[in-house]
Amino acid sequence: MSASKSAKRPKSLGRKIFDVLAGYHIAVICFVLLFLLTFYGTIEQSWIGLYQAIEKYFDIDSFLVIPRNSSDKVIGPPLPGAYWVIVVLSINMFLGGIIRIRKGWKKAGVLVTHFAILFMLISGAVESLGKKEGMMLVFQGEKSDYAQSYHDETIEVFAYDENGDRTAPVVVSSEELGSLKESDTLTVSAEELPFEMKVTGYLGASEMRMSANAPGAGKVVDGFALNAVERDKTEEMNMAGCYVSIIKDGAEVQELLLWSANQQPVSFNVSGTRYGILLTKKVWPMPFEVELHKTVGEYYPGTRKPSWFQSDITKVADGDRTDYEIVMNDPMRHGGFTLFQARWDEPEGRPYSGFAIVKNPSDRWPEYAIYVAAISMGLHFIFMLGLYVLRSSRPSKKTAS
Amino acid sequence: MRIPAFLALTIPLFLGVSCHESERSISATETRELTLFDQKYPGNIKDHPPMEWRRIPGTQMRVFNYVAGPDDSVQIFMGDSSKGGVLPNANRWLGQFGKEEAAGVEDFERIEVLERETFLVEVQGDFGGGMGQEAKKDQALLGFLRETGGQLLTLKMTGPAEAVAVERQRFLDYAKSLEIVAPQLLPEPDTKPES
Repeated sequence: MSASKSAKRPKSLGRKIFDVLAGYHIAVICFVLLFLLTFYGTIEQSWIGLYQAIEKYFDIDSFLVIPRNSSDKVIGPPLPGAYWVIVVLSINMFLGGIIRIRKGWKKAGVLVTHFAILFMLISGAVESLGKKEGMMLVFQGEKSDYAQSYHDETIEVFAYDENGDRTAPVVVSSEELGSLKESDTLTVSAEELPFEMKVTGYLGASEMRMSANAPGAGKVVDGFALNAVERDKTEEMNMAGCYVSIIKDGAEVQELLLWSANQQPVSFNVSGTRYGILLTKKVWPMPFEVELHKTVGEYYPGTRKPSWFQSDITKVADGDRTDYEIVMNDPMRHGGFTLFQARWDEPEGRPYSGFAIVKNPSDRWPEYAIYVAAISMGLHFIFMLGLYVLRSSRPSKKTAS
Repeated sequence: MRIPAFLALTIPLFLGVSCHESERSISATETRELTLFDQKYPGNIKDHPPMEWRRIPGTQMRVFNYVAGPDDSVQIFMGDSSKGGVLPNANRWLGQFGKEEAAGVEDFERIEVLERETFLVEVQGDFGGGMGQEAKKDQALLGFLRETGGQLLTLKMTGPAEAVAVERQRFLDYAKSLEIVAPQLLPEPDTKPES
């Protein structure tokens, strides 16, 4: 009687919204969208490269995705960005799988599993927002205390001291540079610098050529010109370039050309001080040094692709020295940093190791989430099995009578 | 009912509005602590250029590349190569100015660069062209050649004779100030004597 009454009672708007957000419809639509995004992303990745495909389909800034082929022809329906689909799925799982679910001992395992899956989705978001990664290249017999980003370009400007050494550089961030187009102008000032910099003609993929060898090329500065080139599928192969005007009191002091393959700075003088400037993949100082004593590896026959590699290193941090043997899939960890060997090569008989360094606040969260989900599902299964066995072993009322 | 409500709630999330400004001004607040990246020198050679020189982008052949003088007319560049020795290269330089070849390295003045004796070549006259450069009148060349283990290190200054003369002493001071600096190198491991 009371059940039929409540069924007839009209739902409030808030309840209707809650039912939609917590319903299976949204979950199913999200899963279908994620399938399509993964499908088209995988296909497009073969044309535009992995980095560009991840940026296009999965980045937080990607709201609407239109799958295209190598000729820029649309090959699929417009889709929402995967990041935001997962946000909607997380909200849906929280409302449906945790708030709305019937609570009780019988559902405890399912509830904890939902928590674990939600935790896994959140760890993905934390990784997307907070993960930093780079590559530390060290030659045998040398040491390093920094890594460089694979993709992010920065402009570094610094003054030279009286010994000709660099002072701490001011950094124009990759977030500012990465959004620039060739026709854009970015004016940069900094408290530490007595001048302004005007960045123009920014190219994400470029080559620098001597003007004598490139008739008809773009603007020539110091005998060199920048040319736009087709973007390489391997993002780290793309070299950015730009022009920078140094402005002091409204007048141009110097015009410079920067190209990120040039790892040595160009210089200019302002107010009797020499400054250096370079466009470079973001430099990431490490809280430790890596000394590479020995690195060995082997190539697959007939290729320059290493089949295995191994490095004997010493980590030096705060005066403490610790020896490690880094082998494939066996990383070194230090204060939230994970270091594992990702490259090995021996150009001109000089072997080097490339250590991928990752700092991810949610590094092991998915692993913990899987353990929790597996244990809670296991307990739920055992609980339900026990309940079933108990019920089956009880004589039914009919049989008893 | 549920589907329209779903669309009304989610579509605004997916509609990105693109606002792109073609001219922007920012204040850079980020600085970076110094690392070994800031002490990387080509060929582990640290140089001390005079204030009058300005460093421009380098190339494979010009690992150090400077300009100086009026309208940046003087070029100063350093490169290393394994082709030829001191004498063939010095004679090639002389040949570019239409001068007679030297019989031996004894004909050249010697200065010490990077703790080794090097040979100084100095020539003035009309440049006959070459290496992608046009012929020019009243030019000068001042350069050194330093050979170690089959590798030849050269530092060369070229330009209008008058401007090169102004930079001559700075060039010599610069050459003498070059030093090997390699803080990234690990000390050689101690070799214990076999018992």
